[in-house]
Amino acid sequence: MKPTTLRSFLPRPAINQRICISRVSRGYAVQAPGNPTLQVFNRNTKYLQKERAASNVERSRQADYLKDEVAMRLSERLLDINRHFNHVLDLGANSCNIARALTLPDPDIDPSKTTSPPLSTRISHLTAADSSRTLLYRDVDLPFNQEINLTRQVLDDEERLPFEAETFDAVLSSLSMHWINDLPSQLAQINHVLKPDSPFIAAMFGGDTLYELRTSLQLSDQERRGGVATHVSPLADVRDMGGLLQKAGFKMLTVDVDDIIVDFPDTFSLMRDLQAMGESNAVLGREPGGIQKDVLLANEGIYRELHGNEDGTLPATFRMIYMIGWKEGPNQAKPLPRGSGQINIKDILGGGEVK
Amino acid sequence: MPTRISPIEKFAKAAAKCSVESSAYGKCIVVDYNSVHKDKCLTEFLRLKNCYLAAAKKP
Repeated sequence: MKPTTLRSFLPRPAINQRICISRVSRGYAVQAPGNPTLQVFNRNTKYLQKERAASNVERSRQADYLKDEVAMRLSERLLDINRHFNHVLDLGANSCNIARALTLPDPDIDPSKTTSPPLSTRISHLTAADSSRTLLYRDVDLPFNQEINLTRQVLDDEERLPFEAETFDAVLSSLSMHWINDLPSQLAQINHVLKPDSPFIAAMFGGDTLYELRTSLQLSDQERRGGVATHVSPLADVRDMGGLLQKAGFKMLTVDVDDIIVDFPDTFSLMRDLQAMGESNAVLGREPGGIQKDVLLANEGIYRELHGNEDGTLPATFRMIYMIGWKEGPNQAKPLPRGSGQINIKDILGGGEVK
Repeated sequence: MPTRISPIEKFAKAAAKCSVESSAYGKCIVVDYNSVHKDKCLTEFLRLKNCYLAAAKKP
């Protein structure tokens, strides 16, 4: 027997009726066309952080050590490609760190020659593109600008490239792709603007970057406030990048990692440097108003106990993922089909037991 | 003209004066960091915070 209920005698709340009406008119549920885009970062916040960081020119230049180093290591990889590049794009140029690195003397000096021209002589034209105008134009007065044919271009949205198809002979990107929301789409767009048989060479933060800060902030949040908030971005893993590049249509992939560990006197100088780099937290759904003072105070003690060096400094790991992918082109070297090898590699290497 | 010290610099300076308390608090957390819960090391933290507040007050 049905239990008696008073519900039918009560006046129905208005909100319930509205829901009923909307349900009737909705019809079938359909997915909107196109892939659903996943939003992780607030691009506008990132833009403001970069603008703010670059407006303090002196601090911003001081904190450029990491970006300069990575830009240098990245442009060294251009040495492996024996070619002249007519038109190169530096995507997410920050303060044109790559342009500066290219004008430095060639690090791989040929012993038979006394001088070696900088890499910039192999590039006819470099376009440096970034969304932050202040950061992009920060070093416009420095002497390296005269040594390379450089154009700066401010992008409205780094996730939508305004370039024609098959424009560039190479695309470089140094330490900016870790703020891209839709990485698969970004990589596909880069592939689109590359000429056939042209390389894409990039470096981005990944995996275990800042794991010390991530873990100690988690512990201090947990102990002080009883929960965990996002303070360090989720980052792409090395294993993911190969798949993503392949999905975007790149061929002959090379992905490798490189750790740079920087020692800081305390956690505050680490966070101040990150801010001056324009690399503060920009995750959607982060807490407004920064980290609480109690948590900061707790974090200092935990970081030092958990990760501190013996000499009293605090290490911070930056894990760089370097990737090279080539756009497909005619007459491009291709890997041989599986099983076509004629020689057993064991015969060449001696074939001993692996110890 | 005195140079302007940013709030975080002031904070860092005061916090640096409490390294003993800070280390005691850190040790308390790290000793078993798989089971951290709210106010697990409250006494150590309050000691640290009192030290910080005293250090921040001094000019």
